[in-house]
Amino acid sequence: MSDPNDDDVHDPHGAPVDPFPTAFPPPPVSLFPPVLGVETEGRRMTSDPIPPSPGDPPSDWDQGADAHDLLPVGDPGPDHALIALGRFAFPPGPPLDDEGLGARDRRWTSRIIVFATLFLLIFNAASIQNWSRQQPPGWGTETVRRLSDVWAEQIAQTGADRPRQMVHDAWRDWRDMRFQGAEPPVN
Amino acid sequence: MLFPTLAFGVFFLFVYFTAWSLDRENGRRKLFLLLASWFFYAQWDWRFVGLLILSAVLNWGVAALIARSPADRRGWLVGLGVAANLLILGFFKYYGFFVEQLSELLSRFGWERDLPLLQIVLPVGISFFTFQGISYVVDVHRGKTPAARSLLDVMLLMSFFPHLVAGPIVRASDLLPQFDRVPRLTREMATHGLLLIVWGLFKKTIVASELATRLVDPVFFDPSAYSSIDIAAAVYGYAVQIYCDFSAYSDMAIGIAALLGYAFPRNFDQPYRASSMQSFWRRWHISLSSWLRDYLYVPLGGGRNGLFASCVNVMITMLLGGLWHGAAWTFVAWGALHGGAQVIERLGRAALGDRKIIPTVVGVLITFHIVCLGWILFRAETFGLAVAMLQGLGRMGPVMMLTPFLLTLIIGGLAMHWLPPRAVESLTLKLKPAPSITMGVLIGLAILLISAVRPDGVAPFIYFQF
Repeated sequence: MSDPNDDDVHDPHGAPVDPFPTAFPPPPVSLFPPVLGVETEGRRMTSDPIPPSPGDPPSDWDQGADAHDLLPVGDPGPDHALIALGRFAFPPGPPLDDEGLGARDRRWTSRIIVFATLFLLIFNAASIQNWSRQQPPGWGTETVRRLSDVWAEQIAQTGADRPRQMVHDAWRDWRDMRFQGAEPPVN
Repeated sequence: MLFPTLAFGVFFLFVYFTAWSLDRENGRRKLFLLLASWFFYAQWDWRFVGLLILSAVLNWGVAALIARSPADRRGWLVGLGVAANLLILGFFKYYGFFVEQLSELLSRFGWERDLPLLQIVLPVGISFFTFQGISYVVDVHRGKTPAARSLLDVMLLMSFFPHLVAGPIVRASDLLPQFDRVPRLTREMATHGLLLIVWGLFKKTIVASELATRLVDPVFFDPSAYSSIDIAAAVYGYAVQIYCDFSAYSDMAIGIAALLGYAFPRNFDQPYRASSMQSFWRRWHISLSSWLRDYLYVPLGGGRNGLFASCVNVMITMLLGGLWHGAAWTFVAWGALHGGAQVIERLGRAALGDRKIIPTVVGVLITFHIVCLGWILFRAETFGLAVAMLQGLGRMGPVMMLTPFLLTLIIGGLAMHWLPPRAVESLTLKLKPAPSITMGVLIGLAILLISAVRPDGVAPFIYFQF
């Protein structure tokens, strides 16, 4: 093994680079050329992020917020070779500006709304049916009523209406419980 | 069109996607939001959309004149603007009340006259949008906010549908700068908005609705039929109901505006944990109490002219605040109770200084019960019913209305006040990093649970009548 104090044979994280030959320049932390936000300094890679210029708009972005599409800032440690290869082949785009961040957050919010709506269409079909039955008669409401009836019937065949019904029944039982010795209400 | 209905849900989905599709054209976006707001308002009575437009034109015109006038003429103009707003409010809201009082007064002196009583329909939310108009004109006069760049901005300020019918009273200085450019929707705003909507749905459709239909309405309708336990439960129940009803509307309004990219001020801050009446008014309907402070109490002189004058100013402010809630003597009495309690607090502080003479817990209990006493006046339609409620508190008899379910709702509604002060905000920070599908399913699940247990139909929000 080589001398542990020898800078040439240890990367900044202390991981031994043996058995690679020491006669050659040691490999960088990443096996591939740097991606955005990573600068080279001599032979060594540093992964310090580019400091924001004073003119940058303030960002309320939480670094740990997104698992999908945000470049990790700071030193994430050496990447897996395949990930590094992927980054090399398909380098990420430039950092999002304020407008880009806003668009991404809007997409995220819109997806939530769409997922929630789909979830409710499947598991809460009875609500649409109840609502349509409470509307004053008319061409539009009659159409919605018929569609919701068919939809609720189809959903009931899959059993997706059961959770709602179970919660409703349990709630009704609890709601109708009375104290011992209490008299029925005056109507 | 009420917030917790499917019709509003469909309306909002359309507004949300269309508004954000116009994100490169702020003018068109605002125009679209204005038209959507008018459509929303027209669901109650389309004729009053004209009143809304008239009020906006009036305030825009007066503010523009103030901005262009020399200083010595501005006083007249602001007076004119405030008077015109009050005239609109007075005609629609108080005309019948004052004519009735005048008629009674004249008959006492033997002058029986047929005064012209008009069947005036009260436009929904008139108290809110006229107060907004007044604050805009006065703020321009005081130099706190510049006059709006366009009529469109003032129209949208006064008509924006999330706050239009029951507040919060959003001031021009808060909202007009946000209209200057297309807002940015951040994850924090979106998550916070969605959580507030779900939390508001829960408070309104479950807690407030169940308490109203199963306990409060029957007992307040005929207090003589119930015993002390039922009456006490109805009073506490109403305290929880009105909080859950009104704060739910505010939460949903703030959440809906947040999803469209606009920030509204906070309107409630756990009011029943207040340990003094002054603290209660810093926590209850904050946008109204701060409005009354800035546009009524301070112009009257505030606390600048000594203790006696400040007590008189508090009484006037609270009496008019009571009358703002409705054209009835019970509301005036409610305002007098709150004003009187605050005057006593002031006198106590003047005599004893800032020394703490009662423990906080006792202060909270006393404040809560004064507030509950006020709610009896607020909810009872006549003084006779209010007195019957108070008399019923001493009547022994069987429990007829209170059930374990309702008791849980009352305790739960009060326990909400002892959650961590920024619980929704803390949850926002925890949920913000979640992937959209997780958040979508969580929000869907929460709405499914609420929908499964809520009663059929939705009663209008209490504050719609104001």
